[in-house]
Amino acid sequence: MTLKEFILSRLQLFFFLVTLILFASFILGSVFTPDMELHYYHLLSPIILAAACVLPTCVTFYRKTPSLLQYIIRLLLELSMIEAIVMLLITPPENSDRLTFYITLGISVFIIYVLAEIMMWFQQYQQSKKLTSQLKKLQERENQC
Amino acid sequence: MQTKITKIDRSKPELLEIHCHCISDEVREIVAFVRSRQGQLTGTADDRIYEIAVGDIFYIESVDNKGFIYTQSNVFETRQKLYELEVILSEKHFLRISKSMLLNLMKVNSIKPALNGRFIAVLFSGEQVVISRKYVPMLKKALKGE
Repeated sequence: MTLKEFILSRLQLFFFLVTLILFASFILGSVFTPDMELHYYHLLSPIILAAACVLPTCVTFYRKTPSLLQYIIRLLLELSMIEAIVMLLITPPENSDRLTFYITLGISVFIIYVLAEIMMWFQQYQQSKKLTSQLKKLQERENQC
Repeated sequence: MQTKITKIDRSKPELLEIHCHCISDEVREIVAFVRSRQGQLTGTADDRIYEIAVGDIFYIESVDNKGFIYTQSNVFETRQKLYELEVILSEKHFLRISKSMLLNLMKVNSIKPALNGRFIAVLFSGEQVVISRKYVPMLKKALKGE
């Protein structure tokens, strides 16, 4: 993987995370602090949080194509780093059980991460479909010649 | 070895004649190169030499500095280097898909994503070969006809 490809993949992860964090905030907020009032600056939270999650994952940059096992280890490493950062950045609201909050947060981060990976895989799947269709056109063109 | 090129009239057939003291590896390589330009590669299997039509080749792989030509049901060893074949076969829709493999795009049935960010080419024979991420931009260009 080139550095350019890696930066693009991180940007992709960033935007997926922003979307999913917004969605998770809605669900968690509705459960734990349904009456809380938000200000405009709170809208920046998903962006800051997503950036904070993406930056440490840059340590997983690789030039050589990894084996499947190496790739899975990298994914687990990434997930652990994101979990740790989110736990550090987000404090449980007052009058709530800390353990329940952190368990819920951990599960939410896991779901968000898995969804982000699925979305990236789906994008790659779409790309492979496009490549196959271009390939078929090339083969038809050549067979007609 | 001296070389001599003579221009001939278009009405006469082109001919490459080699005058040599013995049929050495060097001579065989020259012959293999000329044949490959004409749509044929020379390969060996079970100590016999075969002429392989480029259109029958699925992919060519380099393993431990040895080249192997894969067809639907046979494998032939070739003396030619992968980078030489890459140049010769580029016009015949062969494309480098990893450090050690040249793929015949005309023998690919479909392309599907792999788990670790790579792509997999499913051949008409049912075999699957991995396309490295590094070579995906080249594949896209080739499929667009660039």
